[in-house]
Amino acid sequence: MSMHEKQLNNDLFQPAVRSSDDAEKITKESTSFWQDARRRLFENKGAVSGLIIIVAILLLAFLGPLFSHNGFDDQDTSRTNLPPRVPVLEKVGFLGLDGVDIRGVDQYKMKNQKDNYYWFGTDALGRDQFVRVWKGTQISLYIAFLAAAIDMVIGVAYGAISGYYGGKTDNIMQRIIEILIGIPNLIVVILMILILDPGILSITFAMVITGWTTMARIVRGQILKLKTQEYVLASVTLGAKSSRILTKHMFPNILGSIIITSMFTIPSAIFTEAFLSFIGLGISPPTASLGSLVNEGFKSLQIYPHLVLYPAVIISLIMISFNLLGDGLRDALDPKMRK
Amino acid sequence: MAVVEREKLLEVKNLKKHFNVGKNAVLKAVDNVSFDIYKGETLGLVGESGCGKSTTGRTIIRLYEATGGNVTFEGKDVHGKKSRKDLKSFNRRMQMIFQDPYASLNPRMTIKDIIAEGIDIHGLAKNDKERMERVYELLETVGLNRAHASRYPHEFSGGQRQRIGIARALAVDPDFIIADEPISALDVSIQAQVVNLMMKLQKERGLTYLFIAHDLSMVKHISDRVGVMYLGNIVELAESDELYEEPLHPYTQALLSAIPVPDPEVERSRERIILEGDLPSPISPPSGCRFRTRCPHAMDVCASKEPKWLEAREGHWVACHLYDNELNTENKQQ
Amino acid sequence: MKNILELNNVNVSFHTFAGEVKAVRGVNLHLEKGESLAIVGESGSGKSVTSKSIMRLLPEKTSEIKEGEILFEGRDLTKLSNREMEKIRGSEISMIFQDPMTSLNPTMTVGKQIMEGLRKHQNLSKNEAKERAINLLKLVGIPNPELRINEYPHQFSGGMRQRVVIAIALACNPKVLIADEPTTALDVTIQAQILDLMRDLQQKTGTAIILITHDLGVVANLSQRVAVMYGGTIVETGTTDEVFYNPKHPYTWGLLSSMPKLNSADKELMAIPGTPPNLLNPPKGCPFAARCPYAMQVCVDNMPDVTDVTSTHKTACWLLDERAPQVEPPEAALVGGAR
Repeated sequence: MSMHEKQLNNDLFQPAVRSSDDAEKITKESTSFWQDARRRLFENKGAVSGLIIIVAILLLAFLGPLFSHNGFDDQDTSRTNLPPRVPVLEKVGFLGLDGVDIRGVDQYKMKNQKDNYYWFGTDALGRDQFVRVWKGTQISLYIAFLAAAIDMVIGVAYGAISGYYGGKTDNIMQRIIEILIGIPNLIVVILMILILDPGILSITFAMVITGWTTMARIVRGQILKLKTQEYVLASVTLGAKSSRILTKHMFPNILGSIIITSMFTIPSAIFTEAFLSFIGLGISPPTASLGSLVNEGFKSLQIYPHLVLYPAVIISLIMISFNLLGDGLRDALDPKMRK
Repeated sequence: MAVVEREKLLEVKNLKKHFNVGKNAVLKAVDNVSFDIYKGETLGLVGESGCGKSTTGRTIIRLYEATGGNVTFEGKDVHGKKSRKDLKSFNRRMQMIFQDPYASLNPRMTIKDIIAEGIDIHGLAKNDKERMERVYELLETVGLNRAHASRYPHEFSGGQRQRIGIARALAVDPDFIIADEPISALDVSIQAQVVNLMMKLQKERGLTYLFIAHDLSMVKHISDRVGVMYLGNIVELAESDELYEEPLHPYTQALLSAIPVPDPEVERSRERIILEGDLPSPISPPSGCRFRTRCPHAMDVCASKEPKWLEAREGHWVACHLYDNELNTENKQQ
Repeated sequence: MKNILELNNVNVSFHTFAGEVKAVRGVNLHLEKGESLAIVGESGSGKSVTSKSIMRLLPEKTSEIKEGEILFEGRDLTKLSNREMEKIRGSEISMIFQDPMTSLNPTMTVGKQIMEGLRKHQNLSKNEAKERAINLLKLVGIPNPELRINEYPHQFSGGMRQRVVIAIALACNPKVLIADEPTTALDVTIQAQILDLMRDLQQKTGTAIILITHDLGVVANLSQRVAVMYGGTIVETGTTDEVFYNPKHPYTWGLLSSMPKLNSADKELMAIPGTPPNLLNPPKGCPFAARCPYAMQVCVDNMPDVTDVTSTHKTACWLLDERAPQVEPPEAALVGGAR
């Protein structure tokens, strides 16, 4: 106290001068919801590593085939079943990238391919596995994104109508969903593929036929919740039309949930596609998807493990990284975390 | 009294709002509520949670469809089928302020878009410049400034948000505002800010308010007349000073005596009427008078007969058998 | 020893993305045996944080007690291990929260929840604990306790649930009971019942009570001493009569005058302009300076010293400095005068 006494002179005991605006001033920088969400996402290490892996796989899937002079279906019986061989890394023995198969025979020497390098090896028809894997990744991702996009469109529209109009409409629409969910998924998919010719579109179609119900249910739940929010009620009392309420108030607020749900749809679509291809209902040769590559390689798993290894690793990486990113997005976008 | 000559703005007659809750169960949230609101006055509506005061407000402004009864606004029926144009003009005349300052503003919209929503819907601004001018003007009306316009709701405190909510309602120049517990989520010092703002706006713009709250002292402060609700009924309605000085209904008496007063000496010496028990379920309310299960003056007749809504004194209405002279003379004769 | 609980220069901070939030800054408080102390303040004033720091209920990850000591019967609670703290929590110091709905476990009978603490802290046998639980329910005014002990929380109404919560808190005869806004979630008529009960119980059991509230009416009803908090600091403390009838701090004046009085004529309410300070960057000087109508230049940069008005009444305000101009509190703040 005594220290204060000395330092403070009497002049300080005059009324302070302040502008009237001071009391209402907000010092914090203005941030929108999306800016906040981005910051939270980038703070999450898992999500960031998931994102990096996804970007890397996407780049490789499209750029990878350009590294090789072979096309994805260039057959050459003189170079069948070659194990992987990578320049420089071939000198590191334990990596197994030196072109020596599991019996210890240097296949490249035996088949007179000493000057060639097949990074992921070749398959039974002598096709370059590196190109086939990345082409397959392209196809798998294409199917997954297409399925997720169609799920989203149908699911959001269906869920929004069901939730927004409520009452009888909602009741009927929900019963339809329940029936669809009640039918075992796999049976529908297999029947669909038997009716349609196997191919990218028919696989996508088969998956979408029941896949959109998840999105529809989530969107409906969100809309039901938002309907009773006071800002929506305020808009109603101001005389807003349904279209305005849906586009201005509801969609921006459920966008987060839609993105998160789609993020989890993608890996499950990739998995379903791989599964279908694996049981022989998928993409027909010579086109390849990750699933069909695993299927082919699986036949000679014990002799040529490299044929299964690479596509299997990529499927796993895609699934893990999309799930990591999805979790990160959920934490970043979940309105419950925000005040 | 002056009340008689004043112009009626809103007339609520036998308003009913029932909700279906499960099989054969009906929640009578609002049951036969009648009152008038005169131009330029503030009618307070108080009661405990679940008494139907908020439902009454929301039914009047058509957020809920009424189960029965009618609401007349300036002689025109508010409910029933209406053309889009009629509805729009109705929406401009009657507005609402909501309770929760955190839930009543869309978190994804900037303040200027929130306030301008009414302007956009009704096309009240010719161009963007005019729209922004209106927004700035409204912000200043509620004591905020231009710098706030491009910010998002989460950056504001509760009191500031509530003022933004008021600005949004004012954007369409309404005559009548339903304030649904506008201050109950706010701190004491902020409550006074909002109430003062509302009273200032009423003076400047000749607004009429229906002020719904559970805080009796604030309601008394802002209202000209006050109605007390219990389990979906209005049990008493009078000028606010009269109601607080001479409450007639036993429930009003108990409610008033239950408010803690910020005065230690008064608190120490005060005799409270402590009501026994809890609010009965509105799904199966007691027969006759709904308050009889907790009423210290309950009589036999209360269980069998619903009390009449009668004017016990001039301008002081009450629904209680204690004040039913016919009934009392009947009893004496027996 | 008279003081059962003593807080000396307690500082609590939260670590957030934006930086350190200094929620409690240098709080000094003491609680005497059997007395009832109210901590009054608005949201964000630090009153709840103070009480939670006594119970050590703050999240360990994001918050810390930076400085100061909390002495309970001479032991510094900030230095105890979690194990030792567990023994004190619920048996020596217990707490009642605002929402009776969420502070009870919906899957356990009320009786079990009361007996839980008894068996843990007092090693009672099952029958002894049951008997005590029935007595406790009787004490808090629940009719038919023998039957209701086997019921679940959802079978009780809001007011009854809060009674159960109080019974649980009192089960082990705590020396200190911290009630954090015990009546805020309740209706006025139920609030009156609970306040009556608490006053009654305090006389019967002699438990010291810390009441945390924003409602000055509740304070006047229940407590003997008051501490007014603002911006993480205690601005005024004294006996209830001193603070209500002879308030010295402009913030207390503001609080008292912003409440409408039932028995006064209609006047404009004295509102405190502006909003509470952001504790991310707390003001250097008096936290109330920015909203204070009497602020002087000295207030902006210098924290006021605590001045003794009487031996029990202390205020931290520069207006009490001898060099400051004499200021009379506004008429509306005079509780006695308005009567």
